[in-house]
Amino acid sequence: MTEEKTIDYKNIYYPPGGILLWILILLEILTFGIALIVLMVFSREDPELYHRSREILNVNFGATNTVFLLTSGFFMASSIHRFHRNDFPKAAFFLRLAALGGLLFLTLKGFEYYEKIEEGYTLGYNTFFTFYWLLTGFHVIHVLVGLFILSFMHRSLSKRTAIREDMEAGATFWHMCDLIWLLLFPALYLIL
Amino acid sequence: MRKTDIFTLALLIILTFFTALFARKDSTQWWIPLLILILSGIKFLLVSFNFMEVKKAHSFWKTSIILYLVLFISIVTLVHLS
Repeated sequence: MTEEKTIDYKNIYYPPGGILLWILILLEILTFGIALIVLMVFSREDPELYHRSREILNVNFGATNTVFLLTSGFFMASSIHRFHRNDFPKAAFFLRLAALGGLLFLTLKGFEYYEKIEEGYTLGYNTFFTFYWLLTGFHVIHVLVGLFILSFMHRSLSKRTAIREDMEAGATFWHMCDLIWLLLFPALYLIL
Repeated sequence: MRKTDIFTLALLIILTFFTALFARKDSTQWWIPLLILILSGIKFLLVSFNFMEVKKAHSFWKTSIILYLVLFISIVTLVHLS
């Protein structure tokens, strides 16, 4: 079922998760990286404004959301590990925990967004908040798509029709959400 | 659950705590943003190499990730300090 010995990860064309996903990941982190560098360049024009705006963001929310995503990534890695051992029930269980991490992230993000809108810090408030809403908003879309993929993975695990390539690709996409957040969190919440 | 994954998660949470803690310190110190970025870079590597199993991949993918991080942290730090 899992064909573990047939995939040579050391081959440049077969990274864990598949080459197409890895091309996507490189493009995604490159795009978010460039956007964050542009944010830094803009912040040099009015450092005080960006510093005050950054301080409006709740670091505790950002750090808690980081822990939610990292823990979710841990459960995803555990799920794939169990899947490789053909332990489908445990793999499905860890996948549900991974999805729970994503849902907790979205819940706290939703609360943070609600708070910012209530206080009037919307997209057009200043350029910092334009970056904040666009960058975190695109990331939230990635998490939503990831949860959608997780639901398909869970379905195929429950039906015992899961294919190794699909499971690893889904997991790699989910981890990509972690990677993007690990770039956004310090740049938006911590260093300006 | 693998022991390496549990250890990685614990390390990731500790690093997150410290990055948040450093951000509360005096932000006029030039080394604080650099330290936060380096710690965040370590987290990025831990997730990609351990959870995503890049450690098993061809050296091209490992080098790409490391090169990207070095470039990103260097450019952000240079812009931030300018």
